[in-house]
Parts: sequence; C-alpha cells; structure tokens
Amino acid sequence: MEVEGYAASPTPRTGTDAPPAIELAGVQRRYGRHLVLRGIDLEVAPGRVVALHGVNGAGKTTLLRLLATRLRPSAGVARVFGHDLIRDGHLARTRLATVAVFGGAYGTLTARENLHLATALRGAPTDAIDPALARVGLARVGDHLVRTFSSGMRKRLALARLLLSRADLWLLDEPHAALDTDGQALVDALVAEARAAGTTVLMATHETTRSFDLADAVLLVDDGRLERVRRDDP
Amino acid sequence: MNDLLAVWLVARKDLLQEARSKAVTVATLFFSAVTLVVIAFAIGADTRLLREAAMGALWVALAFASVISAAQSYQADLEDGAFDALLTLPVPRSAVYLGKLLANWGFMFALGLVMLPVTLVLYGAEAGPHWPWLVPTIGLGTLGFALIAVLYAGLTANLRARESLLPVLMFPVVVPILLAAVRASGSLVGLADVELATGWLLLLGGFDLVYVVLCTAMYGYVVEE
Amino acid sequence: MTTNTNVRWDRPVWMKAWAALIVALFAVGAYLGLVWSPPDVNQGNLIRIMYAHVSVAWIGFVAVGLTAFFAALYLWRGKRRDDVLAVASAEMALLFSSLTIIGGMTYSRPTLNTFWTWDAKLTLTALMVALLVGYFIVRALVDDPVRRGRVSAVVAIVVAGSLPFNYLAAEWFRTLHPSRAIALDGSGVTMAPDMLSALLFNTVVAGLVYAWFMVDRVRLGRIEAQLEDARVAQEAVPSGKRGVVRV
Repeated sequence: MEVEGYAASPTPRTGTDAPPAIELAGVQRRYGRHLVLRGIDLEVAPGRVVALHGVNGAGKTTLLRLLATRLRPSAGVARVFGHDLIRDGHLARTRLATVAVFGGAYGTLTARENLHLATALRGAPTDAIDPALARVGLARVGDHLVRTFSSGMRKRLALARLLLSRADLWLLDEPHAALDTDGQALVDALVAEARAAGTTVLMATHETTRSFDLADAVLLVDDGRLERVRRDDP
Repeated sequence: MNDLLAVWLVARKDLLQEARSKAVTVATLFFSAVTLVVIAFAIGADTRLLREAAMGALWVALAFASVISAAQSYQADLEDGAFDALLTLPVPRSAVYLGKLLANWGFMFALGLVMLPVTLVLYGAEAGPHWPWLVPTIGLGTLGFALIAVLYAGLTANLRARESLLPVLMFPVVVPILLAAVRASGSLVGLADVELATGWLLLLGGFDLVYVVLCTAMYGYVVEE
Repeated sequence: MTTNTNVRWDRPVWMKAWAALIVALFAVGAYLGLVWSPPDVNQGNLIRIMYAHVSVAWIGFVAVGLTAFFAALYLWRGKRRDDVLAVASAEMALLFSSLTIIGGMTYSRPTLNTFWTWDAKLTLTALMVALLVGYFIVRALVDDPVRRGRVSAVVAIVVAGSLPFNYLAAEWFRTLHPSRAIALDGSGVTMAPDMLSALLFNTVVAGLVYAWFMVDRVRLGRIEAQLEDARVAQEAVPSGKRGVVRV
C-alpha cells in the first residue's frame, strides 16, 4: 500500500483509455448568494481511494452530494465515469453508491426491508442481504424496525447497503462517525477490500491518521477549493 | 419493465410504512369525519339543504385529507435522509413520483369509498339507483387531488412554512376537480342523472390525463437540488 | 463594484421613444373608447368600461400562457434569461388580472347591482390571481437562483395547465349542463364594428405596454446578471490559478 499521500498507485487497474472515475472542471456550487464550492478541478482515476479532509463547512458534503447527483453544479462540468451529471445523471447513478452522514434508511421499515428496497430498486440481486447483514454485525436485528436503531447501527446498515450496491464508485461522508471501534475497523476493512477490487472511493473524513493509511491520496477542501496534502504536512 | 417494478417498490414502501405507523389513516379518517360534522353544523337543521350539500361536504373533506396524506408521506421520507438516499439510486425520478402517487391515490380512493356512506348517512342523502357510478367518480376525483398533492408536497417538503404552503398552492389548481367531482356525484345522488354526470367525469378524466403526463415529466425538477 | 464599467445602466433611446409612443397611443385609445365609439343600446355609456377591462383581461391571459412558455424554455435549456422572462410575464399577468378583477367589479356594480358575480370569466381571473400569488410565494421561499427558477417553472406550468380546466369547470358550473354550454362563448354579444375596432385598438395598446415591460425587465435582468457574475467572479477561484488535482 502506498504510504506517501499523493503518490499515484503504480499499477493502473483499468485500461488507460477508460474515462476517469471522477472528472470535475471548474465546478462551482452556490447556496443563495454564497459560493460553497468556488471552483474545483479534480480527476480521479478508476480504482483510487481518495480521502477528503477539511473543517466543517468547507464544502466536503456539498462536493459528495454533487457527485451523487443530488445537487446540481452551478457552473462547470462534472462527470462520473464519463457520464455528465446534469445530462446523464441516471447513468452516473448506476455506477455510484453513497453513505450519507445520516443513515438514509426508513425508520418504519426493518433493516432487511430497507436493504431489499435499495437493492431491488438498483436492480441488483437481493439474495446477498443476509450475508451483508452478518458482515456489518446486524444479523440479529435484521427484522427490527430501523426506528429502534442507534446511530451507530444505522451507519452499519448504510454500510450493508453499500456492500450490496456493487457500485464501482463509493461516496462516503464521514463513514467512521458514530461507529464504535469495531465498526471503524469494519469501515477500514471494507475500504481496503474495495481498493483491492478496483472500486473507486471518495470519502470525507476527520480521521487523519486512518485516511493516510487507507487512501492513495489525501485532499484538503479549504473554503470551497481543493488542495493536495501529504502526511508530513502540518 | 424495470421501471414499473420501481414504481411498485416505491408504492409498496409507502403503503408498508403506512400500514405500520397508521399516521395518515388515523389523521385523515378523523379529520374527514370532523370536517363532515362541522360542515353539517354550519349548514344547520334544514334537511333539504343538508341533502343538497352532502357531496360538496364530502369532496371538501377529501381535498383536505389529500393534503394531509401527501404531506405525511414525505414526512416519513425526510427523516434520517432516507429520501435523499433513495434519490441517489439509479431509479428514474418519474418512477419515484408514480410510486408515491400510486400509494397516495390508493389510500385516498379507499378513504373516499369509506367516507361516502358516512356522508350519505350524516346528511340524510340517498345514493340513488346509479350508485355504482360513484365509484369511478371517487376514483377520478381522488386521483386528481393526489396528482397535484404529491407533486406540490415534494416541492414544499424542504421549504419554510410547508404546512400552510401546500394547501395554498394546491387548492386553486384543483378547483376544477372539486367542481367536477361535486357536480358529478351530486347529479348521481340528487338528480339520478347519469348523462349529466358523464360530462363531468370526462372533465375529471381529462384533467387527470393531462396532469399525469405533466407531473411525471416535471418531478425531477422538483426533487433535484 | 469598480469592475462594472461595461454595464449600461440607462434605458436606450428607442425604449424611451417606445414609451412615449405608448402614452400617445393610450390617449388615442382612451379617446376612441370614451368619445368616438357609440354608447351601447342597453348599457349606455357603461359599455366604455369594457374597452379597458376586456383588453387588459385578454393580455393578462396571454401573459400567463407566455409565463408557462418561458418556464418550459428555462427547464429545457436553462438560460437565465428565460427565467427572467417568465417572472416578468408572471408579474404582468398578476398586474393585468388584478386590474381585470377591479374592472369586472366596476362593471358589475352598476349593471348587475353587485360587486361580485360568479361569472365564469371573472371567477377564472380570481383563481388566476390566486395561482400567480402561489407562484410568487414559491419564488420568495427558494434562495438558490437556479433552484428557484426550476421549481417556480414547474409551478408556472402547472398553473397554466389548470386554466383551461378551470375555465370549463367555471363555465359549466354556472350553466349546470356541460353539453349545452360547450359552444364556448357562443352566448355571443355581436358587437358593432366601431366598438370592435375601438376594443382591438385598446388591446394592441395593452399588448404594447406588456411588451415594453417585458423588454425593460430583460434589460434589468441583464444588468443584474452582469453584477452577479462580477460578484461571483470575485469569489470564485480562477481556473488558471488552480491546476487540476489529478489522483
């Protein structure tokens, strides 16, 4: 695994002519009069794991939501695996999966029902739900209503949904937050497996040391701009 | 084919949630009943007047109930970012709309069928010989309400003052539905005139057809931020 | 804002000339309606309200239709100018339909001895005001300009789509029988040629007023956009300074 933060992974995992997993050119996003993303130019090759750092309000979540096609860019071009997010958002969505800050599950449905809904809507096979629940440590509570879950359990459920998605771009917003030590280790393991399987991962996190261990590159979102960081940077 | 499945999955999700929480069922049943009683009180003891106002009261109650039903179905969506997560799945927005529409309409249709006999009893009216025609009338009328309510509830779901905003936006649009439904059911119950009712049913059907197309096509603009 | 020396603040000469022309034509229209045209056989001089009332009403309906047209255009190609045009048209529609209601009430007070009648067209206009107010409430509640434009465009299209149904329902509701009233407006007031030409002249003037405000609104919209772009450009990080982050 690469130790140096900005070093590129030496072996490209897909053909060189494949479009980048993420391609942002001059992307801006406004909220009202305020410019949250002030111009982002980013290219992430398929199979890379990238960590996003930055203080609260720097624009990490906005960037992730924009890539997940939930927010339209106010200016600039954004593509995921070559699909323009404005014109071909539905195509981009077939390739990506998200873990949001909140669990993103329905409280009045059980864990299993939530996973079935998300997986079936994606058109993915639903027979892997039980293994996925077991993997994230929710096997015993699979038939409980999500309403009764703690925030850590909800995060675990979101991870199970991510596993079932079979997407090749993961957009994770603070995946370690609200999880216990085991859960955080689970996130690390999932990301490492994804990396080995050639999945592209973009994750916003405040876990500085973890991200240097996990990621091929660490980027800093600072006041709506993007910078590269190295491990030995202050 | 896959999109039809998506419509069904979204509808089933909404219905399943409602079956568990019964939030809308309790609220709308109670609300429509109270509305019917209050309107009856306001009209007074004149039995002829009551009989003539019966269908008007029923449809006013159903119009308000459809606001509650649509708003509540998004309330469950917005908790914990579940709807947000749903919209990052590769599902066409139109399928999401049609799914929510199906659930809301199914519910409102059932509510209408339940409230109809209640109204007839409370207002001392008789369904008349052509009562089977009341079923398509309630079907088309509640579809019209649900079409606009589900679109606009999605629009107001993350705006300020959404509770008061939804009826303000929705009611002027559904005035033709209200008028046509009241007239159609009124001509069946009071006048026993099927020919008169079919004209109004055609207006209802035309409205529903136009807005199924418009709302389905435009839903993406409403939920995308 | 020192960077905006290229913004043209003042109205161009041709627009001023157009405004002057409108004022002149308005005077002619008033003369045609108030003096030149004959009094009505039944209603006498009261008919003269019609020249202002009907022309304004017609343009009001056209304005709603155009609002939906520009709204659809905005959804389709996302040009900020289309949103500006949609709002401008909606503002004019609100103004004209409010004037229509006032005109209608002025007309029905002496003729029907009541301020309000559930006449189909008047009811429709009142609903139109309610619908347009809803449009502006939505606009006021959305902060982000792009989302505001898109969401309100949806509302505008829903509003315009409901007008034909509202009209049919209001018309049939009054007459009680759908099939008998289907001959839209066949209740046909046949108008004397002089009256008709006075009415058409006034309609053209009202149309010119509408068009002038639309053009002026686009001009203001352009200035607004230039200022906004300049402000955003100050906040945004220019592409040259960044360099693409490649991972």
